[in-house]
Amino acid sequence: MSRAFTDNINSFNVSNNFILTAADDESKTLAWLSPLEPQVRHQDICEQRVDGVGDWLLETKEFRNWYNGNEHGGCDHTVLFCYGDPGVGKSYIRYKMIKEGQTKVIIADNR
Amino acid sequence: MAVACFYYDFASPEAQSPTNMLGSLLKQLLPVPGAIPVEIGQRFWGHKKVIGGRKLQLPDIVKMFTSLSPLRRTFICVDALDECVPKHLLEVLDALGQILRRSPNTRMFMTGRPHILGAVERKLGGRTASVPIKPRDDDIVTYLRARLSKDTTPEVMNSGLENDIMNSVHEEVSETYVEVGAR
Repeated sequence: MSRAFTDNINSFNVSNNFILTAADDESKTLAWLSPLEPQVRHQDICEQRVDGVGDWLLETKEFRNWYNGNEHGGCDHTVLFCYGDPGVGKSYIRYKMIKEGQTKVIIADNR
Repeated sequence: MAVACFYYDFASPEAQSPTNMLGSLLKQLLPVPGAIPVEIGQRFWGHKKVIGGRKLQLPDIVKMFTSLSPLRRTFICVDALDECVPKHLLEVLDALGQILRRSPNTRMFMTGRPHILGAVERKLGGRTASVPIKPRDDDIVTYLRARLSKDTTPEVMNSGLENDIMNSVHEEVSETYVEVGAR
């Protein structure tokens, strides 16, 4: 561990990779990384979203290849860019994608 | 699996600087609540030792991303890229490209208006697939039904009025899209 870090008496190493910090130090570190809290906007989107709208995207070849990796050995697209005019629902489709991803993880964990 | 998201907004151009944007993604991806990765802690305490503190730099954040669990599947979502101020956009796309190169289990989902597509493809090259988002008939019907079900004055609603609303809004949205699409 570096000298700079051992100088902080409120922190101690819990593994090779992480350091447990006092709550105050943790919040200072997070605020130093960024003062922004996009989770608030995310919560608004979740509450306004209508189930079922935008589900078609999950069935597209582009989404499946991006989410699962290209299973046919072609170019692996690690970025999916959804574009459209204002008001077509891009933000809400993005939320659907996140929800879908989390659902799949829960299913995998239960096996 | 980890997911981080960011929403650009025209109303906050200065607050949504590239360092603040990427820093907010980074802090959503910290894998252990209550514990800070050594790489990030070292940099934080190192910066604090400089009088007045040193401002976080973009290359620092890119390096810190790669210190997170490299085997974990990670999804980074960025909404409304077109609302990022132009002087920051290329810088942000460059940084996201570097993160992708160094973190093979990371995938990114982005949205924006069509005129941003060129910048995304130039900066992220062959890594990018793109999908046009259009209002679909069944989406419009589902959305309208959901909104009508939350009507705060249901006593003035009847099946005739509901059908009129469904038909007129549906036609209006379809015509708007045809006009926009024909430009």
